[in-house]
Amino acid sequence: MMDEGDKKKWAIKLTVLGDAAVGKTSLINKYITNSFKEKYQPTLGVNIVTKDIQIQEDNSEIQFLLWDILGQDKYELTRQMFFQGCAGTLLVYDMTRYSTFERVKTKWIEDFKKYGKPDSVYLLIGNKSDLKDSIKASSEEGKLLADKIEAVEFLETSAKYGENVEKAFRILFSHVLEKSGVKIDLE
Amino acid sequence: MIGDYKGTVKNKVVVALLQAYHDILDYDGMKSILREAEMMHLKDIKDKNPNESIDFFSFKKIISAQNCLLYDSSILLFEIGKKFSFYLFPFGINFEEIIDKINSLIITDWKVKIIENNTNEIIVQVNRCIFCSEIGVPCDLFEGFLVHSLQKSLPSQDLVIYEMNKQDINDPNHNNFVVKLKIKRNFK
Repeated sequence: MMDEGDKKKWAIKLTVLGDAAVGKTSLINKYITNSFKEKYQPTLGVNIVTKDIQIQEDNSEIQFLLWDILGQDKYELTRQMFFQGCAGTLLVYDMTRYSTFERVKTKWIEDFKKYGKPDSVYLLIGNKSDLKDSIKASSEEGKLLADKIEAVEFLETSAKYGENVEKAFRILFSHVLEKSGVKIDLE
Repeated sequence: MIGDYKGTVKNKVVVALLQAYHDILDYDGMKSILREAEMMHLKDIKDKNPNESIDFFSFKKIISAQNCLLYDSSILLFEIGKKFSFYLFPFGINFEEIIDKINSLIITDWKVKIIENNTNEIIVQVNRCIFCSEIGVPCDLFEGFLVHSLQKSLPSQDLVIYEMNKQDINDPNHNNFVVKLKIKRNFK
């Protein structure tokens, strides 16, 4: 935290995790720029964007650093360094690919707990909810998994149409701030 | 960013730094920093004459963007610093020469100097370090740079261990510091 005159400035590092092509970048793009690209282009390394939030009650400015971390296995070693200092994450799977759902419990939650900050928070996100005819991981399974891994919330999102996208980030921000001792309802 | 940022930086420094970002953060990571710095036009600077210069203010914008986006990422910054040394001085030159050269490649209101040079310990003083001048930012990048610069000038079996007094990063003068580089010799 930094003090600039009377104003407090915070920076909080967050990640979006999940297998390749589950829609991590699309979720961030939708949230930050309200845009969506149909054509898949894998993230090379890490894409970092910022979101500033002013909190009038507290005279604070919070800068959320959103790390969109590549999902490909070949970057395993580098990825561990990316987790340092991370206070929260969206764990994302593609509702139309069951393997990506399974990997949340066998890989992503384990990695995040191992390399992220202790006491960090995470939401479980089932993305591509608009592809209703192709869904392989049901809502019930999502809710069960969220309970099992103790995620603060489970949401189904559509990065394409924006369904629940803003809500997911706002819930994550609120919970991370609460852990830092700032009580504010961004939801 | 506040302050008076006068000076020049050789293109080869920018190229080495971008290459270091590319190695550690990959292409999108490097682009994230340039985008945040509003310096995307420097993406292809490697195609320009390495001995020409850019203004220090532009360089500082990149460093500030890096420090903003890589907040709380000391391991990454240290690794970027090592790579930065690797790409800036790819061929074996001794540590003293590296310190001389870094001062002449980045010309601004800063100074890096060796204040003690013993067989097994070198002490480096950095005044007004440009890599961590923002309040709240530790200097992991330049430490990585110094460690790797010394390491590569030593026989491969020797090891550099570094010490730096814990800095209060909220002190505006925290970018004046001393780094002790100890050499652990392994005689065969």
